[in-house]
Amino acid sequence: MRNLVFRLVSAIPVLILVSVMVFSLLHLLPGDPATAILGNEASPEAIAALNEKLGMNKPIIVQYGDWVYNLFHGNLGNSMVDNTPVTKLIAQRLPATLELTVGAFVVAIIIALPSGILSAARPGTWIDHVCTFISMLGMSIPHFWLGMMMILFFAVKLGLLPASGYVSLTQDPVANMEAMIMPMIATGFRQSAVLMRMVRSSMLDVMNADYIRTAVAKGLSERAVLVGQALRNAMIPVVTTSGLLIASLLGGLVITETIFSIPGFGKLMIDSVFRRDFTTVQGSILIVAVFVIIVNIIVDVLYTFIDPRIKLDKEDK
Amino acid sequence: MIRKTQFIIFFMVLLCLLVSGCGSQKTSQNEWDGTLKISLRADPPRLDPCYSAAVVDRFVFQGLFDKLVDLDSTGKIVPMLAESWDISSDGLVYTLHLRHDVKFHDGTDFNADAVVFNINEGRKKESNRKSELTFVNDVKALNDDTVQITLKKPFSPFMSVLTDRAGMIRSPEAVKKYGVDFARHPVGTGPFVFVDRLKGDSITLEKNPNYWGKGDKAPKAQRIIYKIIEDPNIALVNLKSGQIDFADYLPFNQIESYKTDPVFTVSDEPTLGFSGFYLNIKKDTFADTRVRKAIELLIDRDAIVKVALSGVATPGRTAYAPMSFAWTDFDKPHKPDIAQARQLLQEAGKDQGLSFSICTDTNPINGTLVQMLQKMMRDGGIDMQIEKYDFGTLLAKGKKGSFDALMVSWSGRIDPDQNIYTWLYSDSSNNYCKYNNPEFDQILDEARVSLDMDKRKALYSQASEILDRDIPYVFLYHAHNLYGMRRDVKGYVPSPDGMVKPVSMYKSTD
Repeated sequence: MRNLVFRLVSAIPVLILVSVMVFSLLHLLPGDPATAILGNEASPEAIAALNEKLGMNKPIIVQYGDWVYNLFHGNLGNSMVDNTPVTKLIAQRLPATLELTVGAFVVAIIIALPSGILSAARPGTWIDHVCTFISMLGMSIPHFWLGMMMILFFAVKLGLLPASGYVSLTQDPVANMEAMIMPMIATGFRQSAVLMRMVRSSMLDVMNADYIRTAVAKGLSERAVLVGQALRNAMIPVVTTSGLLIASLLGGLVITETIFSIPGFGKLMIDSVFRRDFTTVQGSILIVAVFVIIVNIIVDVLYTFIDPRIKLDKEDK
Repeated sequence: MIRKTQFIIFFMVLLCLLVSGCGSQKTSQNEWDGTLKISLRADPPRLDPCYSAAVVDRFVFQGLFDKLVDLDSTGKIVPMLAESWDISSDGLVYTLHLRHDVKFHDGTDFNADAVVFNINEGRKKESNRKSELTFVNDVKALNDDTVQITLKKPFSPFMSVLTDRAGMIRSPEAVKKYGVDFARHPVGTGPFVFVDRLKGDSITLEKNPNYWGKGDKAPKAQRIIYKIIEDPNIALVNLKSGQIDFADYLPFNQIESYKTDPVFTVSDEPTLGFSGFYLNIKKDTFADTRVRKAIELLIDRDAIVKVALSGVATPGRTAYAPMSFAWTDFDKPHKPDIAQARQLLQEAGKDQGLSFSICTDTNPINGTLVQMLQKMMRDGGIDMQIEKYDFGTLLAKGKKGSFDALMVSWSGRIDPDQNIYTWLYSDSSNNYCKYNNPEFDQILDEARVSLDMDKRKALYSQASEILDRDIPYVFLYHAHNLYGMRRDVKGYVPSPDGMVKPVSMYKSTD
């Protein structure tokens, strides 16, 4: 518990560093928000006026200071494009991406765990070859191509699923599932490839251990050995990889969101960078950083459940 | 452990049933529910006509805001909020007679005071309409239904300016109430009322029950949903599957297949715009007119339109598209003349080792286009490098003048002055190449104050000839819009400014 608190507190310097880096990088980009927002039709006076209003003429330190000050008052600022509060923008766009992240991960697990275990249980056989081949496909097939193919087949040709049209889960779960099932599968399939390899190699490592040989000798069924004994011990690298995969998804789903026209968080960030909407980018990156930190903490906590020898706190001997 | 496997299988079967069971209901759509779904190629940054800068904003405005005057399908200026107008013989005083049966969406009255308010807001320095209203000296309400606008100098394009955003009338009450947040609560007098918006995803409008337009002019749809779909390929699949009814952007390279498609048709519409690239006159490379002319002579515009744009454009070498009254045959490009180009380069002493870079954006069509240009330059002994930037950076480079050649295009306006003045007049805001020709400037100044259309046309022809000689900007083609619509979408009327006007559109299987 003490360690958990320490972990949370030590996240703060990380967040500070991230925010300073993002802030600096944004200001290094050529072009200013007013030009990006007002476009090439704008008069120089309109651009100057907007830049002034957005505070672009203040020294950078002052701009950063203003932002941090607002942050401590629970205010992420307003979008430079149309003044929408950044918190509102993020709240609108985060649920879709979170849902996609979780769903894609579930799909990945459903594919990776059974195929990884089977491969490890029957190394070198046709089962292993088939599972490895599927994993190769997952790694090689670009997920945007897979997504487009699925749309063409299921939406255009068969008319079974919509080509787009995100509806939030709370509004209409059925319509939501219809819209999200294809992007979840397209993304999840690719993720499953990496996971499957991890499961397989980790299991193979574990299978050679003495305690496995003991379990077999004791007469336990293959399933009991695999799932009961080996899998649990093999999970640590898998959990680590999973954590990294999930953490990367929050900002990494831009292409999927674009193809399936999902109003997601990744797309919000990319669009904001192109529009030089500094406040939205800063607020979003902060959220991503927080998310990654939380995921890592959860992964660490999970370790202790998987392997009781691992403790969060240092024990007094 | 058996339980876990069984649970997984059960869950997946359930999921499949759920999905397949519900999917089939979507396809039966015999009754139109009154909703029209239109795709937009970008998320409108700002739904406020006073501050708007993007073409996609204008799409949404067609439903929300009425203008003082409108354009009919032939490009003629016709009444809208102004029933009629008089222009004094010296061209300085415009008197607009307004409709008096119009209310804003928030219930307040539309009247002359509202028009005065909007025009004055447009003249403020933060406004993006300032340059369009720069000639306005004074505007006042003579009575509830009459507005008088006095100009500093005669300005021929003035009525055309009022057919676009500068003429869109917002509710003064709403503007005062929301201030900068008006863009999130836009209130006009148009056939549709703003309901909701999910940034980056969609904008929803609903029929205005109190719209002044009756009969043919009354809105037919109950609801319009603008869906943001940036990639034309994705817009295409959504159009084919029925997720959208009208697409504002389709991939050009599949146009042959569209003509025979069973579920949708396309409308290939010329625009008033131009596309091409600036040559930075401040750079030594381009200081000599002969070098610039040589570059232009090397270009095969017909090939570019055929290959890079799949024929969905009109090759041109002036700022005026065929629909503009200033267009003449001169716009038709000549064939490339490599021999002449090489000779000019030799005379200018640049026939060996001439090299420059062209800056463009990440649009795939431009990607193909600049590669074709590269080959054409090589035929003349010129080495051209390609640099790609995101649009914001591209604009910044343009404004700073940090480029050799820069690709930039203009969506076009009905009046020829607005297709040329801010682009090539000395020191004007979009004149990135810093072209400075007093003779040219004088012609433009004369053309914009004259009210004689024939005289203006002659002047603009002269201007085109000067530009063709000096080549500060290489005009390549006039873009087309390629709109797609499902076969049951009716009532769409193409507009010369490329705007999709939803008021007359509806769906019917007849």
